[in-house]
Amino acid sequence: MDAPVASKPLRVALVGVPNCGKTALFNRLTGSRQKVANYPGVTVERREGERATADGRGLRVLDLPGTYGLTPTTLDEAITRDVLLGRLADTPVPDVVVCVVDAVHLPIGLRLALEVKRLGLPMILALNRMDMARRRGVSIDMERLAAELGTPVVPTVAVKRGGADQLVALLERAGPAPNRTVSAPAWHETTAEDAEQMQSDLRGLLAVAGYGPPRENPWFGRLDAVLLHPVSGLLLLALVLFVIFQAVFSWAAAPMDWIDASMASAGEWVLTHMPEGPLSSLLAHGVIAGAGAVLVFLPQIIILFFFILVLEDSGYLPRAAYLLDRLMGWVGLSGRAFIPLLSSHACAIPGIMATRTIPNWRDRLRVIMIAPLMTCSARLPVYSLLIAALIPRQDVGPFNLQGLVMFGLYAAGIVSALLVAYVMKHIAGSRQYSPLMLELPDFQWPHAGNLLLGLWERVKIFLSRVGGIILALMIVLWFLASYPEPPPEFTGPAIQYSYAGRLGALLQHVFAPLGFNWQISIALVPGLAAREVAVGALGTVYALSAASDDDVASKLEPLIAAEWSLATGCALLAWYVFAPQCLSTLAVVKRETNSWKYPLIMAGYLFALAYIAAFITFRVVNTWS
Amino acid sequence: MISHLPSSDTLTPGTLALSELRRGEKAVVMGLAGDESLLPRLRDLGFVPGMHCEVTARMWPGGDPMVVRIGGSTFALRRVEAAAIRVLQVRERDAVPATLAREGTSAATA
Repeated sequence: MDAPVASKPLRVALVGVPNCGKTALFNRLTGSRQKVANYPGVTVERREGERATADGRGLRVLDLPGTYGLTPTTLDEAITRDVLLGRLADTPVPDVVVCVVDAVHLPIGLRLALEVKRLGLPMILALNRMDMARRRGVSIDMERLAAELGTPVVPTVAVKRGGADQLVALLERAGPAPNRTVSAPAWHETTAEDAEQMQSDLRGLLAVAGYGPPRENPWFGRLDAVLLHPVSGLLLLALVLFVIFQAVFSWAAAPMDWIDASMASAGEWVLTHMPEGPLSSLLAHGVIAGAGAVLVFLPQIIILFFFILVLEDSGYLPRAAYLLDRLMGWVGLSGRAFIPLLSSHACAIPGIMATRTIPNWRDRLRVIMIAPLMTCSARLPVYSLLIAALIPRQDVGPFNLQGLVMFGLYAAGIVSALLVAYVMKHIAGSRQYSPLMLELPDFQWPHAGNLLLGLWERVKIFLSRVGGIILALMIVLWFLASYPEPPPEFTGPAIQYSYAGRLGALLQHVFAPLGFNWQISIALVPGLAAREVAVGALGTVYALSAASDDDVASKLEPLIAAEWSLATGCALLAWYVFAPQCLSTLAVVKRETNSWKYPLIMAGYLFALAYIAAFITFRVVNTWS
Repeated sequence: MISHLPSSDTLTPGTLALSELRRGEKAVVMGLAGDESLLPRLRDLGFVPGMHCEVTARMWPGGDPMVVRIGGSTFALRRVEAAAIRVLQVRERDAVPATLAREGTSAATA
């Protein structure tokens, strides 16, 4: 049996300006056989996928971050340049570079291609969206362009099945990956003279290809006239956000109930079918409860990200960033901060990861620092419980009081985030200007396949980052709350005797000025590491045996209404708006900032704010009611 | 559309900063002048001499940021970024940029 001659897959890198359809092409080439990791030492995502080829050798495709030129302005763009220059230890220089260019916007993509060509690597130009180009009256003479440019040119239609076939065929013919030791390409930053040279080269290429500007789609102009207008634009943005949040709450309710109920019956099944003892207790109250605590957030996260991805794919999100840039500038943020902060309303973790698109490091850090102040899904169980128990069901004008309080809590998160950003802007002193220079892409219908892949990726990230920690936490909590078991003569609830109870008794001294009773103090022990655990913990403290979180909440409600003062409840709400009760978030901040300093600063300032806010709230509501 | 203009100093009388244009006004880029750190990226985006552009939106107040169409693409630029782009305004039916035509004689006497 012969061993294959060249069995190493061909290493292909995709390069292109943002919004050229590069990611869609990457998806088309690799399907679901993608792997997302990180470049060593930096927090930029490394997207690599594989594709089988007829000759059995296969392609390994690397989707490099989009950039407008090889002189980087962001960390992402620096990675693209460094990979092409072979400066990254683990990522060798690619065998072939595929420059993906949007045929409709040929000049801007071709300019980058000219810069990449100067590197001297084997290159192919992929003209993407050729179908769209034809529809808008753009014709490109590919043969003449290829001859003039000196590299092969192939058309691609990333969103259609088979749209990448010509590219794959060309790559297959590329020959065996030579066992060459490639010296890193020589490169220097583009000087003004280089720029002029490339500009005249570009003019020549465009003339040779017969490129003329695309026919304007009149709808784009009409849409932009409304969407970018200072008044109608902002009003429509507010409407879009309102619709999204409404949808997240109403659509997620049923699936969340279903998940809650399923976990509850799973737990019950374990308790009835296994002999009573530590193991069954661990499984039911530790593992299953833990898994349930994670899974119950998926519906909200999936729905919110669905909307965000639709807005992103359609081209609307950069327009929202444009509309908000001025307002956010007042507190020292850029319009680009809008997307991470919006995502943080589902969960701060993907929100913090989304800050990678912010060019300036100090700006990025500021957004990371305020992201946890956005009201994330995990706070909702506590908010809902306390509001239901303590806020009367009245109407204030046309509005429901309970609804108003909930809205007020959301607003408190956003307002406090803006205030903190404002303070940071003045503490940090003078800073380097970070540009906007944001492209507003053409409008397009979102593509279902890309949407699904994007959703799937975010779900995987949430489950792996958050799920692990919460599950581990629930098991630790179960242990701390169950042991040591009280002797028979002990009259209080079992949990008071346990480690968790003793810790809570200690914390009581710290929390007494805030009006927190010992039950809250104990529940906050695990609640400090993961917010959503607090309701279940409260249930355990009040010695409720209940099947699921929902059940616990409904049983807790009358207890709380009867026993807690309004001031205590409000103080706890105020605490929850600020307190950094999420180990997963702190862990992600450590990863994204590559240091312990920033998560510690974040935890510190948030605890301080939480304490102060709860203290003031307790005193004010106490004297007032 | 790329037109070939005679090479001229970017600060020729009659050039404006792009940030001074109103919504709907069109111009042709003459050159870049301003904060050095902005220029390379502006060139990458296509703001090079000879390119025609149009302002499609301006935020209140002061046009910061503004939206500019150039070379078939659309970009949002802050005032300080647009101020680094020197342009000659083009009226709809003019073959020659309006300011050159108007000030052609006075420039000779300057």
